[in-house]
Amino acid sequence: MNANEYQGSFLGRISIRRNQVVVMDAIHEQELEDIELFQKHVSDRFSELSSPSDDDAILSISWLRKLLDVFLCCEAEFEAILLMDRDPYQLSKPPFDRLIPELLDRAVKALDICNAVTNGVESVRHCQKLAEIAISALDQKPIGDGEVKRAKRALITLMAAINLDDKDGTNAKSTERSWSFGRRSGNKDRVAGQFRSLSWQVAKNWSAAKQIQSTIYNLVAPRGAEASGLPSPIYTMNVIMIFVMWALVAAIPCQERTGLPTHFPVPKQLNWAHSLIGLQEKIADEWKKKEKKGMAGLLDEMQRMEKSAQSLIDFTDSFQFPGDAEKLQEAAGHVAELTEICRIMEQGLTPLQMHIREVFHRIVRSRTEFLDVLEKGSLPVI
Amino acid sequence: MELPENPNKDNNGYESAEKIILRWDSTASEEAREKMIFETDRHEADLYLQAVDEIQRSLSNASISNHSNAAAASAAAVDDQSKVNSTIQIAMARLEDEFRNILMTHSSALETDSLFDPSSSSFSTPSHHELEEDDSVSNEDSSHNDLLRLQLQHCESSDSSTYRSTSSIREVDLMPAEAVCDLQAIAMRMISSGYLRECIQVYGSVRKSAIDSSFRKLGIEKLSIGDIQRLEWEALESKIRRWIRAAKVCVRILFASEKKLCEQIFECVGTDIDDACFMETVKGPAIQLFNFAEAISISRRSPEKLFKILDLHDALMDLLPDIEAVFDSKSSDSIRVQAAEILSRLAEAARGIISEFEGAILREPSRVPVPGGTIHPLTRYVMNYISLISDYKQTLIELIMSRPSTGSRYSGDQSTPDMEFAELEGKTPLALHLIWIIVVLQFNLEGKSKHYRDASLAHLFIMNNVHYIVQKVKGSPELREMIGDDYLRKLTGKFRQAATSYQRATWVSVLYCLRDEGLHVSGSFSSGVSKSALRERFKTFNAMLEEVHRTQATWLIPDTQLREELRISISEKLIPAYRSFLGRFRSHIESGKHPENYIKYSVEDLEAAVLDFFEGFPVSHQHMRRSQ
Repeated sequence: MNANEYQGSFLGRISIRRNQVVVMDAIHEQELEDIELFQKHVSDRFSELSSPSDDDAILSISWLRKLLDVFLCCEAEFEAILLMDRDPYQLSKPPFDRLIPELLDRAVKALDICNAVTNGVESVRHCQKLAEIAISALDQKPIGDGEVKRAKRALITLMAAINLDDKDGTNAKSTERSWSFGRRSGNKDRVAGQFRSLSWQVAKNWSAAKQIQSTIYNLVAPRGAEASGLPSPIYTMNVIMIFVMWALVAAIPCQERTGLPTHFPVPKQLNWAHSLIGLQEKIADEWKKKEKKGMAGLLDEMQRMEKSAQSLIDFTDSFQFPGDAEKLQEAAGHVAELTEICRIMEQGLTPLQMHIREVFHRIVRSRTEFLDVLEKGSLPVI
Repeated sequence: MELPENPNKDNNGYESAEKIILRWDSTASEEAREKMIFETDRHEADLYLQAVDEIQRSLSNASISNHSNAAAASAAAVDDQSKVNSTIQIAMARLEDEFRNILMTHSSALETDSLFDPSSSSFSTPSHHELEEDDSVSNEDSSHNDLLRLQLQHCESSDSSTYRSTSSIREVDLMPAEAVCDLQAIAMRMISSGYLRECIQVYGSVRKSAIDSSFRKLGIEKLSIGDIQRLEWEALESKIRRWIRAAKVCVRILFASEKKLCEQIFECVGTDIDDACFMETVKGPAIQLFNFAEAISISRRSPEKLFKILDLHDALMDLLPDIEAVFDSKSSDSIRVQAAEILSRLAEAARGIISEFEGAILREPSRVPVPGGTIHPLTRYVMNYISLISDYKQTLIELIMSRPSTGSRYSGDQSTPDMEFAELEGKTPLALHLIWIIVVLQFNLEGKSKHYRDASLAHLFIMNNVHYIVQKVKGSPELREMIGDDYLRKLTGKFRQAATSYQRATWVSVLYCLRDEGLHVSGSFSSGVSKSALRERFKTFNAMLEEVHRTQATWLIPDTQLREELRISISEKLIPAYRSFLGRFRSHIESGKHPENYIKYSVEDLEAAVLDFFEGFPVSHQHMRRSQ
């Protein structure tokens, strides 16, 4: 009998639980349609993210927020497909008895990353405050020795913060100390103390890179029959979640990103994945370039801040009162750029943190829903 | 304000001030780097501050004079101004370092020894929260699932009596008054020169590391959510206890004191600034503190977690007003919000656990019957659990707001029990849940009883278990009050009926042997007793009795009184019947051959045999004595 003959009969809707075979019927077809639509939406959304406007360069604060929105939308659709009108017993049988717990395990890892990144935004804010000191110094007219020294002091601290080694909050590079007592060995504690105070909220051995690595572990695309059923959107959601977390970690400083994986084992032939993989490769390239130099993250605003700050340090190095008119003008340009970046940060960092928090809450809620379903569907032990 | 008349005098003042500032310029001289002004000498410090004030004065004078005398705004004046600014910058840089130094000198961890009383730790006196350990738990059912394997150990003395010192906000002095004065003096100068940002940066970074060390001392760990999911619950319980103690100290003493310190140091410069410094210092640590509670609130639910989660909930609830008092500014919104979120998640978790508990009881699947028909471990576990729940009545009454769902939630192959809500009018949702739990438990027990091949044993099993339920309810005043005497009566009736059913199942057929009908033969020539029938009767009776004796001696009724009552009830029916039977028919047997084969037992033998019933011990075949 073909699917059509079954359609009208009650018998056609019975799914024989003991086998994997689900009789093709109207309900199943609806599900396939939903899955297809879901993956089309995923593709569209990531395609949009890949062609940002000037205002949201990739990995800028506003782009990251768009990414988080994409996650929330995809997640909502995904939950609907998996859980709405779902017989709990279905999700406790193979392959879901493996896939769902794996998904939930990744969700827990994502929660930790959300927390680490939210904490990391504080160090971006710290840089913003240092930049603001430099700005307020150099905004004076006319600029004198005092202002320049003041700005220089702040800028050097800023550069040190930007070049902070993720690992233990100490400065790996030997830049000029931000204050006068650097040369005396007895004062090392003081120096280190300043940086260590920006210590992370996570345990010493926690590593963002390792965390991401462990989410990628065991990520295997569904094959064969599974590829056209529920395992497929589960895989998609896994990939999206991993990508979002990975992008956040690449952008925002958080503990121990050395060894951040740069390759995602996502098969290229998956339609919905093209834009996502494209983005991933672009970001990965940037990461590989910058990794060796040590940096505070690929956050667009931080990159721009670093450039301007470096130029201004050069300016302060060569400054002599009353200063060269051309150089002063150039410096003013950098100050303006820095001011703009600080403005963006001032307006955008807290909303970014709240947005990440929203994602955190959603993942928690979703996980609770899934755990609930698993509990209900658990077959009695005989 | 008039400009000073004597420019020379003014210049002298300025010049000497400038000298002092330049002398202490650490970028310029080795000597200046060697020591700290504020560590050295009170006098030096005062001189320095005066010098700074002097420079600041001349700066404002210079700008006044620049404004008022346009002609004087020459290159020279600009030059001068720049020099003054330069001097200011040197002074500010120095003051920043001094500020940092003073802070670091006085940034050790909070002295916590006086706050904790190690002798009154939470392991000393078990309060009424302690779970009684029932003896004679039968562990032979090998198909126990996790639910049954759990042992509830709940020893917790009430926190508030142990740590009186952390029951409300109490600010302590984090550093000596002199240091605070110095910091205040420096801050004032920095801020009036426009160096507020540097001030906040330095302050925040040093105080944050002080808080970090206090955290370490309080045993606040940096655990990730993943770590917490992986830990065994017992390990987490002690971490939760520790966290509750630490959180009280943090909010009420540590954070409150930091706030006071900020207020003191930035007293002269307005609330926004001390707020900013406070948040700069405390925001990160506060979030770190709450992250632990948050991780607990989202962990997987299972019944044994309920009580610690309620403890955590209560502790946080208790702390909430103080959290709101300490974090009262706009910039600390996120912290208050997080605390409220955690509280509501903990409440949700408690509700969820109870719901899942109810479901788990319903689905608890062990099919191996408990030997001897005694109390099932599930019954013990559930009744002990809800006794504990009734101890937490105060909290749970607030949290549990909806009635138990008795319908399609448990859809599956099994049907679910009924609960008549009409009779339970006026009961709190919590009480309804507790009653529902008992209903569900009984439903499950009914199912289990069907696995006994012997119907009598099935009845005995129900009798034992429902009786146990009744005893447990009676034993806890809170539980009894919530369950209500009406339902208690219902339960009592239930186990009494089970006793009756048991008796019917076992003894009807035994006593049937002792009936009168069928023994008399009436015919035209003889009216008397059929000896063969009578002999059959005795034989059957003896065999049945022996079988019952052998079997039911191994059955168990753990409750002494119940055991006695049932035996008496059996005796009351058995003994008189046998005595009367013997009385009427013994002569017929004794007049025949081998009477001892038929009248094997005396009345006394029977009385003695009944005493063996329900002891839970097997008896040897010989054990049913004969006195003949």
